[in-house]
Amino acid sequence: MDLTKVPNEKKLNLCRTYFKIGFALLPFIWTVNAIWFFNEAFRKPEYEEQKQIKKYVVYSAIGAILWFTILLSWLITFQINRVTWGEFADNLSFIIPLGSP
Amino acid sequence: MLKRIYLPLLFFVIIAAKYGYADRTKDKMYYFITNSTGCYRRMNGTHQIGCTSKRGGSNGVIHYCESEKDLDFILENGKAPPYIPVMPNNLLTLNIVNKLKKNIHTISGLVIHNKNTPEYFTHDNQCPNINSNLKNTCGDGNPIWNKHGTGLLFNNIPFPLFFIDSDEDVKKIKDCFQKFNNHSFETQNERTLCSLQLKSFMFGATSTPTCQRRSNKQTNIIPVKFCDPLGDYNIWSSLYPVTDKDKNPIQNASYIVISAKMDTTSMFEKTAGAQSPITGLVTLLGVSKYLKTILPENPTEDKNVLFLLFNGETYDYIGSQRMLYDMKNGNFPVKNENGENDFLPVIRPEQISLFIEISPIKSSKNLYVHHLKDNEKIAGIVAKLQNATILNIYPVKGSLPPASLHTFVKNDHNFPGAILTDYEKTFSNNFYNSIYDNSSNIAYKYYNVTEIENGKNIPKNSIQGYIVDVATALAKSVYQELKGEIYRGDQKLDIVLIDELLHCYLENPNCRVHQVISGPKLQKTPFSLYVGIDNHSNLLTPLVAMVLGWTTGDISGEGNINCTNIPKSYSHKFYNMSESIYDLNSTKCFKVTLNQTEAISPAFIIDDYDWSSGQYSTWSESTWDDISMRVFLKPSPAHEKLTISIGSISMILSFAIVYFFKTRSHILFIPSIPNETPTEC
Repeated sequence: MDLTKVPNEKKLNLCRTYFKIGFALLPFIWTVNAIWFFNEAFRKPEYEEQKQIKKYVVYSAIGAILWFTILLSWLITFQINRVTWGEFADNLSFIIPLGSP
Repeated sequence: MLKRIYLPLLFFVIIAAKYGYADRTKDKMYYFITNSTGCYRRMNGTHQIGCTSKRGGSNGVIHYCESEKDLDFILENGKAPPYIPVMPNNLLTLNIVNKLKKNIHTISGLVIHNKNTPEYFTHDNQCPNINSNLKNTCGDGNPIWNKHGTGLLFNNIPFPLFFIDSDEDVKKIKDCFQKFNNHSFETQNERTLCSLQLKSFMFGATSTPTCQRRSNKQTNIIPVKFCDPLGDYNIWSSLYPVTDKDKNPIQNASYIVISAKMDTTSMFEKTAGAQSPITGLVTLLGVSKYLKTILPENPTEDKNVLFLLFNGETYDYIGSQRMLYDMKNGNFPVKNENGENDFLPVIRPEQISLFIEISPIKSSKNLYVHHLKDNEKIAGIVAKLQNATILNIYPVKGSLPPASLHTFVKNDHNFPGAILTDYEKTFSNNFYNSIYDNSSNIAYKYYNVTEIENGKNIPKNSIQGYIVDVATALAKSVYQELKGEIYRGDQKLDIVLIDELLHCYLENPNCRVHQVISGPKLQKTPFSLYVGIDNHSNLLTPLVAMVLGWTTGDISGEGNINCTNIPKSYSHKFYNMSESIYDLNSTKCFKVTLNQTEAISPAFIIDDYDWSSGQYSTWSESTWDDISMRVFLKPSPAHEKLTISIGSISMILSFAIVYFFKTRSHILFIPSIPNETPTEC
């Protein structure tokens, strides 16, 4: 969707909806939201809804960063400990690498 | 008109299909070494052993080594690692493999080729099956049975290992090495080099419980089998029916067991197994045939002879452990719901009055009777053996070489068992569990005798003659044990039968004995004697079972279609078989008491088995996708760099060109002017 053709009010609605959907454990939605509306929030001349859009963009970005930090640390922990955890790690896996411990 | 176009086109297509052999470039780049066998990975309750390549294959520059010096040279001076040394068989030692393991960054694989038959070649442990044997029967002052054993078979080797049989392939590799690699080693990293790719990537890892657990996992997105338990079937057969008038099982009879093992293994996928296990197996078949000839009817009511052939014994006694487990649970010879059934008796370990195991043997005038403790049963059989033969019989007390008997003795230290061998302190077999345990190891020569009178052409001092001696001695002793008197008849065990049996198992399965049992048409090369995996039954096992059925069976009438249709008595099986190996055309109906029982370790059927306990065999074999080996020319680094540069440059160029066209698309392409829809006026 080309945001330039969307009226400001609709932009705000869209941004808000994306922010809300993100709460359903969907960090990628927040990421998309933050990137998509970044220009609208920070680089466009000021308009009435911009302040709110800015708020949602910032919150979405923070949420996404938080998520990715947690995910990344979990992935590192898991990969480091996969072998030592044995059965527990296997039960958490959907794909077990061939030929490795 | 149509015809004019299509006919020539059709003609062209036909010609193209017939003569246009399109070779794919990738097929031209590689030369496959088809006569190669790989080493693969196995796992037990706690460890993994064997070899694996990298996923997709391990590549390396060929370095042909005549001696260890050549190997050291490349380890120190190699400029284009990784290398794959190609070495003759005598260099496959623990030292060299350990050296390669230390240089894992310089070495990516190892290829062994056939040179002369070495003096010894055995990669089992010095104390085979030590973890499942009775304690203190090997090493520490006790004999070291397999003194040349390197233990490599049980070593975890982190690179692929292959064996090439064919001299032609070795020559190809050597020539390629001479031409491209074997000069100016300082500049090897600047030129095209002859290389090898070894593919033997193993899926399973760590240990049997781990890979079993992973194979059974339901949540795996792509379900993969990582490993399979080793296993096959044991064979049992009784000399006399185990039922009374074909109906009532004779309970509580005592049994004399004659046993032997059926399997071997090797470092590589190919096996041989002439001495171990074939000589033992053939001796057992000889004993059964001869006993049935000299004593066709059971002289007693409460004694019988049980022939047991165990499978998987090489891997911690899989077959005997399972049989003992079944016996103790009342599930031998058949699985019983509540400890009994009405067609076969239940046989328990306590009912075995004497257990004689025929260990693999080789020509010799001495026969050793190994046993743990003296008791009257053993003393009795030793005396009977001494009476029955010209062989020198030596009882060896307190000594148990690796054999199935260990399983039974571990269960009960007073178990009356003995092992017959041709050695006292170390194996007479220098090729135990290796590919060189072939017919030349036992100096076997096939005589192809078709008339019974010509049996005398086979020399008495051959392996055939020795097997006849041992089998006769044992059969006569069992005769005396059963009947209470010495055999005074003049029946002899036919040496031709032994010759034929060895031919069957060592050279060509399409042999006369397999025709006797009306076997199907079989492959021309000997069957593998590796126990294999549980869900893939070994082709040889049912054939051996049929032969054992033939040697122990009773003739119940003429051979015809009614034979196998006789109203089923569950205690017997009926087969149409020839009466003798000299007359294949006259078939008789044989009534046999025989069956196969599962030879899969109890560890896999006990629900919460403790895998690290070491109580039962836990061996499993990893699954894999492809085992192959091919030679190719690795381009020089300059060539490789040029290729990647050309590729990258053309990619970048293509981006630039596309960008150029896109930005100027309005000039290059005339925009189509939409037709104005006529308005209704």
